[in-house]
Amino acid sequence: MEKYWRSIDEIENGPVQDKKNLEEESHNNEVIGLLEGIPFKTSASRRDFLKVMSYSVASAALLSACQKPIQHAIPFLIQPSDIVPGKASHYASTFIDGNEFCPIVVKVRDGRPIKLEGNELYKYTRGGTSARVQASILSLYDNARIKNPKGKNKAIQWIDADKEIVAGLEKINRNGQDIVLLTSTIFSPSTLKTIEDFKSHYPHTKVVNYDVVSYSGMADAYKEATGKTGIPYPLFNKADVIVNFGADFLGTWLLPTEFTLAYVSKRKVEKGTYKMSRHIQFESNLSLTGSNADERIQIKPSEELIILANLYNLIASKQGAELLSVAPITGDFKLEKISNELLGNRGKSLVLSGSNDISIQKIIIAINGLLNNYGHTFDLEKPILIKQGSDKEMFELVDNMNTGKVGAIFFNNANPCHDYYASGEFIKALEKVDLKISFSGFPDETMPYCDFVCPDHHFLESWNDFEPRTGIYSISQPCIHHLFDTRPMQESLLTWADKPVKWDEYMKSHWEKVIYSKQNGKSDFESFWIETLQNGTLETTESEKLTISKVSDIKEIKIDNSKSIELQLVVPIAIASGFHSNNPWLQELPDPISRVTWDNYASVSPKFATEKNLKTGDVIMVDNKIEIPVLVQPGQTYGVISVALNYGRIKVGKVAEDVGVNMYPFVNKQNNNLQYFQADISIHKTGKTVTLAQTQTHHTMEGREIVRETTLTKYADKPTSGNEAHEEFEKTHQTLYPERKYDSFHWGLGIDLNACIGCGACTIACQVENNVAVVGKEQVTKRRIMHWIRVDRYYTGPPEKPSVLFQPVMCQHCDNAPCENVCPVAATTHSNEGLNQMTYNRCLGTRYCINNCPYKVRRFNWLKFADNPKFDFNQNSQLGKMVLNPDVVVRERGVVEKCTFCVQRIQDKKLTAKLENRTLKDGEVQPACVQSCPAEAMTFGDLNDQHSNIFKVYANERNYHLLEELHTLPKVGYLTKVRNT
Amino acid sequence: MKFRVAFLCFSLLLFITNVVYSETDSLLKASSKKITENSPSDIRTGERIFHGFVPSATKTINCASCHNVGRIDTLNWSPSALDLALKYAKKDLATFKSAIMQPTGNLMSQIHENLELNDEQIRQIKSYLTELAKKGEEPAKPLLTNRIIFILLILLFLLAFIDFAITHKVKIAGVHLIVLLVTAIFITKYIVTSAIGLGRSQNYQPDQPIKFSHKVHAGQNQTSCLYCHFNAEQSKAAGIPPANVCANCHVIVKDGSRSGKFEIAKIYQALDNNKRIEWIKVHNLPDHVYFNHAQHVVTGKIDCKQCHGDVASMDQVVQVKDLSMGWCVNCHRETGVQFANKFYGKYEQLHKDLNDGKIDKVTVEKIGGTDCMKCHY
Repeated sequence: MEKYWRSIDEIENGPVQDKKNLEEESHNNEVIGLLEGIPFKTSASRRDFLKVMSYSVASAALLSACQKPIQHAIPFLIQPSDIVPGKASHYASTFIDGNEFCPIVVKVRDGRPIKLEGNELYKYTRGGTSARVQASILSLYDNARIKNPKGKNKAIQWIDADKEIVAGLEKINRNGQDIVLLTSTIFSPSTLKTIEDFKSHYPHTKVVNYDVVSYSGMADAYKEATGKTGIPYPLFNKADVIVNFGADFLGTWLLPTEFTLAYVSKRKVEKGTYKMSRHIQFESNLSLTGSNADERIQIKPSEELIILANLYNLIASKQGAELLSVAPITGDFKLEKISNELLGNRGKSLVLSGSNDISIQKIIIAINGLLNNYGHTFDLEKPILIKQGSDKEMFELVDNMNTGKVGAIFFNNANPCHDYYASGEFIKALEKVDLKISFSGFPDETMPYCDFVCPDHHFLESWNDFEPRTGIYSISQPCIHHLFDTRPMQESLLTWADKPVKWDEYMKSHWEKVIYSKQNGKSDFESFWIETLQNGTLETTESEKLTISKVSDIKEIKIDNSKSIELQLVVPIAIASGFHSNNPWLQELPDPISRVTWDNYASVSPKFATEKNLKTGDVIMVDNKIEIPVLVQPGQTYGVISVALNYGRIKVGKVAEDVGVNMYPFVNKQNNNLQYFQADISIHKTGKTVTLAQTQTHHTMEGREIVRETTLTKYADKPTSGNEAHEEFEKTHQTLYPERKYDSFHWGLGIDLNACIGCGACTIACQVENNVAVVGKEQVTKRRIMHWIRVDRYYTGPPEKPSVLFQPVMCQHCDNAPCENVCPVAATTHSNEGLNQMTYNRCLGTRYCINNCPYKVRRFNWLKFADNPKFDFNQNSQLGKMVLNPDVVVRERGVVEKCTFCVQRIQDKKLTAKLENRTLKDGEVQPACVQSCPAEAMTFGDLNDQHSNIFKVYANERNYHLLEELHTLPKVGYLTKVRNT
Repeated sequence: MKFRVAFLCFSLLLFITNVVYSETDSLLKASSKKITENSPSDIRTGERIFHGFVPSATKTINCASCHNVGRIDTLNWSPSALDLALKYAKKDLATFKSAIMQPTGNLMSQIHENLELNDEQIRQIKSYLTELAKKGEEPAKPLLTNRIIFILLILLFLLAFIDFAITHKVKIAGVHLIVLLVTAIFITKYIVTSAIGLGRSQNYQPDQPIKFSHKVHAGQNQTSCLYCHFNAEQSKAAGIPPANVCANCHVIVKDGSRSGKFEIAKIYQALDNNKRIEWIKVHNLPDHVYFNHAQHVVTGKIDCKQCHGDVASMDQVVQVKDLSMGWCVNCHRETGVQFANKFYGKYEQLHKDLNDGKIDKVTVEKIGGTDCMKCHY
């Protein structure tokens, strides 16, 4: 068996017990801490204990004398026909944060949205979501939200704001100055129409698209090649070979949720066909996408161009095409082999790059052109419209602002005072603009410089429509009345353009006039409209038909191959665009690779760390500008430091305060494009150290055969390869307990390790569904994170060049559950449907079950996490608590909790079947994790039903269970990972 | 020792203040709007007339016999003095007069038929009511009996103990032990019973904002429970009927047999003024219990009576069962499942046993009805 490891320390010194922390946790502080709710009191005397005891006895006596508070039941005066108190309704809508797009279904319970799920009718995601989508529901109930319009930082009435703004705009219009709408790419057809209307009233209006992380290099390259706007849509489900240069398409790049589904459809192997795609990744940091690749080749960011040019020449020489004049590269990048693989899969391959360098993107286009991929693995008919930001326009805007050409500027979903590469310059230029208006519904760094704040609705409160790709539409509909005195951005624009129309009516009429005519399914508009609203999405036959006419005008590549240290800036998986910075769920979602929460950090390679004498937690000074802690990251390219963007926010709310460092000052301008790396970086140790809240060393499995893998060739040879142990354990399976029969249902979960990409959507989905508490950085370092489902990440191979495996672990619902035998109060028991039940009200916190659980999936409420100012997250505010699922108890201090297989969902679906007098269908019950998974890696169902999908998963040769040698009979099955190496 | 004595005093103090303040529930809050001043003599005379201390020519009028002043323990269908006061506080004298002298409701006409009041007296009554509205509801008097006995028992216990151990005032042998034993028994009994009752509220019967009679609706008029509580068939909550459901019938029935027009009019006031009706929930389960009405009413075909008692015979709803876990579980152990539901087709073994006559019914327990996570998650 290959050696699997999770940290550098472990590979060097064997399994880490983290002794220091264990000592710290010695229990003498806990009793008093628990009783008084003081987490960190140092000592407690007998006298203190008596005080606390007598107080609690007295208060118990007093409590018995108290009367129960009166509970009111306030019915509707007139109950709407589609609302049933206590029963959830579901509405199709769209998740949008200015960066990511995903069709969703909103679960609304008693008037408030409480959960977002993917829209299964949208065929490109089939119900998949990302962690950001799952967590975004909390932003609706964010206390930091802008609650009313503001003028000069004071609350103001809409009518007064409108009057002043219109007067200002009229004046600017008369002067002939520009009115600029600085916005994240708008791909909403109705909003674009609104802007047209606004333009007709104020002819000097300009729209500048500005994306937080620029895709301008790619967008411009394609614009030059096709003459039209739009990025060809990569069809991962048709690609047999994927060669990717640093584009994190499974994490954050363009449409990650859609790409994940398509990518994984080519990665799931079936017996008989034995086919899967091959994924080669060139990258500097170990990204989520890279960790799923079959082959990873480490490069420095500055080397990307020259490697690509060489790859192009290799392919071009074999095709007889014109060559680029470029110096040959030194170093083994396996280009010969890769070019042969690509040529062997002409029309069935994808070459991608995440770079913002237009030259790189032009070569990418040229390579894909040579490989005949356009029209085959790139959809040219329905190109992507969600990224149209142009760096050049942004540079021009700043120049225009400086010269006084800009009279007014509106910020929509744009926060350049934080995330523009030269934010200081931008702020200075902003002073020369007369009228500055922010539409942001959340506080941001740009807002303080604005004259007016006209807050937009939250996306769950608002009507909207989107066209992420030509001819593919998605609709947002409000799921709750707007909580605060906000107004849709479009309605503000229309009001100022003297067209006071209600935005919802305006949008509907646009659909009636324009989009309705583009389809031919329905003959009358009303039924078309209702159907579209119900489905949430619509695909018409419209197509763009791009043609790649001009391949590349690059003739010569010059590069000075630097030997210096390079700094690479990456987009983090959890908080991504920064829209979610104030979201505690996402801040506490461990990074899929580094497992760090609540921070950004400088990833360095183990070899580099040894040379520079750096350890994880050492704070380094980068370029004498910023101080940042180091994380020794296996798989990181030597000589490259990678740091995540979008941290270090200062004005977004209390959750994000003091979290991480702002890295935007390191973004630089190169040939009219923003460049997300910087060469010639100097670093030095400051001598300070900090603790990174890493969940990495938690939950050790003591090096047993936990993850199993094989290769495609071995698998084709013998389907049980890599999983030989399973057969053996099945043979020797013995148990002391009588085997229990399950008469009705026997619930089981199956996870395909080949499909799991490790994104963490399940973790957040579970957190939302089950009211799991956020514990904060300090408690995470004490290993008290409460997530019911963790995604374990294992490395294998040498630390400089490891392979990665992901494995989601939740309660295994063992049929012979070790936890059940040791509970002295029978708080954890087995149900007649095979569920391992946890009864919070019986639990008195002995934690025997936690000790006896071999999977370490049980969580203990060390402290009171709800209604406690020390944990000032959503469960400590009236508004934040509105997101809680009313069907699930908020756990008290001192009880154990764990995954329930979403028993509330099982019960709900069972009841629906009973009410409809029918049997329960396979796949009808979906726990939150299964529903959210963008890769469809999880299957849930009834093991007693021989026709169910879960039964098929369990019958698969690749299926095994965690620590099956213990005969705990877990009801979570894992399918061996297959690599295509 | 000092600390303990101080602590004891402190807890006693807390205890007593708690007793005094805990029982003042404020169902009806007096309108705080400004009400015109009236002369004290008018108010006094008005009060006397209201209570029937001023005889008229033919007979004594006693408003208070129907319209109770202050709290009473029994259900009074007529509006209380405070109800009237609040309703007419902002209305003029003419309206008030016509409401008394030319009543429109059947019930009220019969009673007010031979009322002899002159304008002056009506004005004085109104002044009294206006004053009442200003004062608002008098605070409820706490029920002290049980707790006073408990406190006295504790004091007696302490006294006996102190005398036995330190002071030795009582010389008769055995008295101390008897007193200690008896008081200890009663104290323990009190603590145990109140601990068991903690969180339970059997016999809870709160006053509702509208004097609604289930006896009239469900009993005399035979209205189905599910007509008003229609949510029970679809949702976990049975739901209180929205005012528009009340209006379905009461758009015609405007004059009630018990309370006349006064209570029914509240529905319209709520609908017209867009003012919510704050009913008081009688049957409360703790937050950690999941209970679903649809499951029991539709799938289980359980009669409402089984948990809510014979509501059709109650004017004012009272919690009959204690809604304890033992009570739930016992029912799950005894009650048969509606096994004909196609959903239960999965339970092959049980179907077989049933057909073979091995069992005569499938109880809820047999299909997992006593598993913790059926109700707690």
